[in-house]
Amino acid sequence: MRISKTLKTIAGLAGTMVLATGLSMGLAQAASKVAVITPYLAQPGTQFYVEGFKAAAEKNGWETNIVDTAGDVAAVISRLEDAVNQKVDAIVINVDPQQVAAGLEVAREAGIPVVGMDSGSDPLLATNVTSNGYAMAAETAVYVANRIGGKGRVVMFVFDAFPPVQIRGVVADAIFGNFPDIKIVDRVTPDVQDGGIADSRAKMEAILAANPDKGSIAAVWAAWDQPALGALQAIEDAGRSDEGIVIVGMDANPQARDAIATGGNFEASMAQDFIGIGNKAAEMVGRLLKGETIREPVVYVPTTLVTSSNVADLD
Amino acid sequence: MISLFKRYGTLVGFIAIVAFFWFNLPDTFMTARNWLNISQQISMLAVVAFTMTFVMVMGDFDLSVGSMASLSGITAALLFSQGYPVAAGVAAALAMGILGGFFNGFLVSILGILPFVATLGTLTMFSGLAFWLSDGKTIFGRDIPKTFSGFARGGVDIELAGTLALKIPYLSILALVVLAAVWLVLEQTSFGRRLYAIGGNYEAARLAGVKVRRLRMAAFALTGFGAAIGGLMYASRVASANPTQGSGLMLDAIAAVFLGMTMSEEGEPRVLATLVGVLILGVLDNGLTQMSVDSYIREILVGAIILTAVASSSVGKFRR
Repeated sequence: MRISKTLKTIAGLAGTMVLATGLSMGLAQAASKVAVITPYLAQPGTQFYVEGFKAAAEKNGWETNIVDTAGDVAAVISRLEDAVNQKVDAIVINVDPQQVAAGLEVAREAGIPVVGMDSGSDPLLATNVTSNGYAMAAETAVYVANRIGGKGRVVMFVFDAFPPVQIRGVVADAIFGNFPDIKIVDRVTPDVQDGGIADSRAKMEAILAANPDKGSIAAVWAAWDQPALGALQAIEDAGRSDEGIVIVGMDANPQARDAIATGGNFEASMAQDFIGIGNKAAEMVGRLLKGETIREPVVYVPTTLVTSSNVADLD
Repeated sequence: MISLFKRYGTLVGFIAIVAFFWFNLPDTFMTARNWLNISQQISMLAVVAFTMTFVMVMGDFDLSVGSMASLSGITAALLFSQGYPVAAGVAAALAMGILGGFFNGFLVSILGILPFVATLGTLTMFSGLAFWLSDGKTIFGRDIPKTFSGFARGGVDIELAGTLALKIPYLSILALVVLAAVWLVLEQTSFGRRLYAIGGNYEAARLAGVKVRRLRMAAFALTGFGAAIGGLMYASRVASANPTQGSGLMLDAIAAVFLGMTMSEEGEPRVLATLVGVLILGVLDNGLTQMSVDSYIREILVGAIILTAVASSSVGKFRR
C-alpha cells in the first residue's frame, strides 16, 4: 500500500518533469526567447517599461522571461551569463551598461543582441531606447519664452554634475539666449541631498528677497520637478503668487502633476512615455530578430508637455 | 534510515536539484562552461559564507557582513578615484574589514552584547559609513582602474586537446583559495578546534583554559576580513562601488551556512558543507533562470528549500 503510493508519487513527479520538458522544448522551437533583466523592477518607471515591453512581446508571440535581481547589480551579470548560456535570441536590460559590461561582453561573444531600456548608450548595446532630454528641455524653455512674451527676467535651476540633467540646462541656455529681451537672473544649482525641494525653496526665497519689485521675476525654469516645487512654495509663502510668475519643471512626477492641476504658478512639466519606451524596445528587438542592424545608438520615444489642460488625461 | 536521511538529506537534495536541471536543460546545464559560470557567480557569496562559518562555529552570528562588503568596495573605489594605486585601495579595504571585524568581536566578547544585537548595530554603522564616504553615489567609470575591474573578467586559460579552450575565472580561483584556507584553519589547527569547543560548550571551554575572549575577537575579525574580500570581488565584477551593493550577501551567507549545518551529525557548521549550501543557492539561481522561471517564484522556492532542508534534519531529532 505504502509502496504503491510512493510509486505513484514518483510516477507523477516524473510525468510532470517530462511534461515540463516537452512543453519548454515545444515552445523553444515555436517562439523567440527574450530575457528582460533589471535590478530595478520595484521602481515605478521600470515597471511601466516592462509592462509596455511584455504587451508588445505577447503580440509577437515571444517567450519572455522577466528577471528582477532586487537591486543586485552583480546578479544582473550572472543572469546575463545564464541567458546567454540558455541561448536566448535577444536580451533587454534596464541598468547602467557600464556596470554590467562583464555580462554584455559574454552576450556579444555569443552574438546575442542586447537592447537597453533607458540604460544609457554603450557600444556593447545594439541600441538604447529612452526619452530625449534635449527635446524635453527645449519644449519647456520655449513654453516659458512664449508665455512671458519673449521678455523678462528668468531664474534657472540646473544640475550640471549629473549628465542627464546637464544637457537639459544647455538647451535651455541656448533658447533663452536666442531672445534678446530675456535675462537670466540666476543659474542656481540646488543642494540635492534632501531631495532638492527644501534647498531650492531657500535659494528662491533669497532671490525673491533680492528682487522685491512686482514683475521683477517673470519665470522659473527648472531642469527637474523638485526645484520647481521648491520655487512654487517660496513664491506662495512670499505672497507673490498673483504676480504671474511662470514656473516649469520636468519629469511630471505626481507632486508636480497635482501642482499643475490646481492651475497656480506651476504651469508645465514634461511626461515621459514609459510604456512607450517598453513598446519601442520590443520593436527594436523585433528588428534585431529579423537580422536588421540598428544604426541609431539611441532611439528616442516622444514625450508630452503636461499643462493644466491635459494633466487630468494622463494616468 | 531516518538518521541516514537526516545526515544526507541535503546532499541528496542537491544532487536531485542538479539532476532535475540536467534533465530539463539537457544542452546547456551540465556543461563545463555553465559550471564555470556558476562558480564565478557564487564566488562572492562563497567567500562571505566560508568566512561566516568562523563565527557560526561558536554559535555566533555576524549580520554586518553585507554592509562591510559594501563599505570595503566604497573604500577601495574612493582611494582609486583619488589616484591611489590598486594595491593601496585593496589594502585599505581589507584593513577596514579586519578593523570592523575586531570591533564586532570587541562588542560581543568584551562588552558581552549579544551577537545579533551587536552586529545589527554595526550593520547600520558600516552602512551609514559607506553612504557618508560616498555621498550616497555610485563610484564607477574612469574612477575604477582597468586592472581592478579586469580581475573579475580574467582567468587562467586551459587548453584541452589543443583546441577546446576554457577559462577558469580568477574569481572562482580566489574563492577556492579562501575555501582551502578556511578549511585548514578550522579543521587542521588548534585555533579551529578551540572555536568548535567554544561552540560546543562555552563555559566548559573557558574552564578548560581556552582563551575564549581573544579567540572570539579573532574569529569575528576573520569574518570581517572575508566580508571585505567578498566586497572587493563584487566591486571588481560590476566595475563600480555603491553603498548598498553588498547588502544581499548577508542573508544568503547565513542561509548557506544553515543549509550546510543540516549535513553534520551534531548540527555544527563545517566549511565544506557550507560550500554545498552555497552551491545549492547558486545552482538554483542559475538553473531556474535558464528555465525561465519567474524571479519571484524563484525566491519562494529558495526559501522553501532552505526550510525543507532544515526541517528534514530536525525531524529525526524530534522523533528521538
